[in-house]
Amino acid sequence: MSIIEVNNLQKEFMIAKRETGLVGALKSLVKREFVKKEAVKDISFSIEKGEMVGYIGPNGAGKSTTIKMLTGILVPSAGQVTVNGIVPYENRQENAKSIGVVFGQRTQLWWDLPTIESFELLKAIYRVTDQRYKENMSIFQEILGLDEFINTPVRQLSLGQRMRADIAASLLHDPPILFLDEPTIGLDVVAKEKMRTFIQEINKEKEVTVILTTHDMEDIEKLCQRMVLIDHGQKVYDGDILAVKERFGKMRTLVVDLEDANSSFHIKGGELCKQEGNRYWLRFNRNEVSASDLITQISQTHNIKDLTVEEPDIESIISRIYQEGFIEKQTVKG
Amino acid sequence: MNMLEYEIVLKIKIIYGVQGMSSWSMYWTFTKKAFLRSSVYRFEVWSRTGSNIIFLLMWGSIWTALYAGRDEAGGVTFTAMLTYIVVSQFLDGVNEAGTPLWEIQEKVRTGDISLELMRPFDVPLRYLFADFGSVAFYMITALLPLYLVIFYFLDLALPTNWLTWVYFIISACIGFLIRYCVEMTFGLLTFFLVETGGIEDIFYFAMSLLSGSVIPLWFFPSWLETIAVYLPFQAIFFMPISIFIGETTGGEVFTSLGLQLFWLFVCYLVLRMVWNRASHKVVVQGG
Ligand SMILES: Nc1ncnc2c1ncn2[C@@H]1O[C@H](COP(=O)(O)OP(=O)(O)OP(=O)(O)O)[C@@H](O)[C@H]1O
Ligand SMILES: [Mg+2]
Repeated sequence: MSIIEVNNLQKEFMIAKRETGLVGALKSLVKREFVKKEAVKDISFSIEKGEMVGYIGPNGAGKSTTIKMLTGILVPSAGQVTVNGIVPYENRQENAKSIGVVFGQRTQLWWDLPTIESFELLKAIYRVTDQRYKENMSIFQEILGLDEFINTPVRQLSLGQRMRADIAASLLHDPPILFLDEPTIGLDVVAKEKMRTFIQEINKEKEVTVILTTHDMEDIEKLCQRMVLIDHGQKVYDGDILAVKERFGKMRTLVVDLEDANSSFHIKGGELCKQEGNRYWLRFNRNEVSASDLITQISQTHNIKDLTVEEPDIESIISRIYQEGFIEKQTVKG
Repeated sequence: MNMLEYEIVLKIKIIYGVQGMSSWSMYWTFTKKAFLRSSVYRFEVWSRTGSNIIFLLMWGSIWTALYAGRDEAGGVTFTAMLTYIVVSQFLDGVNEAGTPLWEIQEKVRTGDISLELMRPFDVPLRYLFADFGSVAFYMITALLPLYLVIFYFLDLALPTNWLTWVYFIISACIGFLIRYCVEMTFGLLTFFLVETGGIEDIFYFAMSLLSGSVIPLWFFPSWLETIAVYLPFQAIFFMPISIFIGETTGGEVFTSLGLQLFWLFVCYLVLRMVWNRASHKVVVQGG
């Protein structure tokens, strides 16, 4: 069995409708009306030990809701979840021992204790032996540089420091599974890079299985081979990141600077999508025509001063999927 | 034990907050950390002590004025009454050092308490043990020295029998636990309400008046006394103090302790019920 199994998972919230005005307020005292909100509609996936999976989707897609069901703090409305063989919501405390969780939006450390005290509390809570505690702390110190701020109360930490402390805290008890819900949110470039290195390291060294949600596609590109893409509570893609790139990355853009401006030209296989002064952007399908083909065509009638070929990054691919939906999804495995 | 029995036992443990022996060292760590945390907030200790003294002076003078030079009123001597107020202020200090109502409400509102569901511990117990730490710190650094001085300089009716001291301490501890259950329960009601103003008013009214913390129950009009007697709040202040000043003696002491245990049992069950409902609401409705 896979270490994480999710089958036809659903979660709907009943949201009490707020009536406006005095009459409305009185009415809602007697009878409350509810609106149903389907946060997760029907999601299935399974994750193998040691995998690192990017769980992505636009705002409100249902990512955090899924993570919460995996941690056991939300009960699914329907469907099955097992994490390391345990049904999380049925046995929350047992499940807690085999997972580490970071919610980037909020800390799970004790707000007014010095950071080190939080670690000592967690050591007691998860019954980490002195030996393991020492070893883990020295790893965290080394990669995350915890000693800089270990004696500072958590509420005085900078966002980046707090996040580093949080992720270290989530791994103190050597959980085989790690859930990261936006672990790089609000971090600067250097801090993000450190965070990624750390995640990569623990995944490699300790074979920790990682589910990562983020809005930073660089996180996904650098860390994950597989991504699960969801939208409106439904899975739209599950598979290799390279395959997505293949699929959506076949469109390239040739940018050329010509010596003579304003000449409108038609190039076979290239679609002029933008022009600024004497710079032209030509979109083409790399399976149908090659860049050198286009260049040859252009140079027959114009003098090329400079040129580049732009390859779409995962960021723009994903944003296009968000906007246009994942068309032809049947053709890609998943 | 087969699988089904195991699961039933597990369920019962979760519902009633039953802990295995090995868990206590973990909860004890919360006590130690809360003790340390209190030492960070030294100003809080001073300001709390200040207000404790002010209230002591206030109630002391009010009762002095009410007795108006008489030695006795309603069968209670002035010395006993003064002792009552002093002990009450001491207990008030002890009880106030725990997590206050607003802080519990804050934790509910921000969802901090829901996130603790993810940890392998029982949440109400973990707060109780943290309170032990805060109370211990406040007792050692402020309350005990302060009240030793007060007892030394004022002419109060101290128990002469050491057993009375023992009964008082037991009774005060049970009172503390009852207060904890009641306060936590009120705090958790925040989960179910949009506005909590009314809840707070009821709580503070019950804690100050119905508990007998400022006016002993024997001075209540009989209808109010009847109400107070059938509620748990008197077990927090009135019952332990009555033992201390010798109003409750002999066999009554055991009746009194028994009644306190009964209320502790009831309040604990109510707390568990509200907590289970609250955590159920979190996991089903997302807080
Ligand atoms: N406790 C709740 N009660 C009612 N609705 C909720 C609750 N939690 C989430 N929702 C709704 O469910 C949907 C999914 O929310 P969720 O937090 O899972 O999104 P997300 O994918 O994590 O988004 P983001 O990228 O913005 O973090 C949203 O429409 C949200 O409003
Ligand atoms: Mg989210």
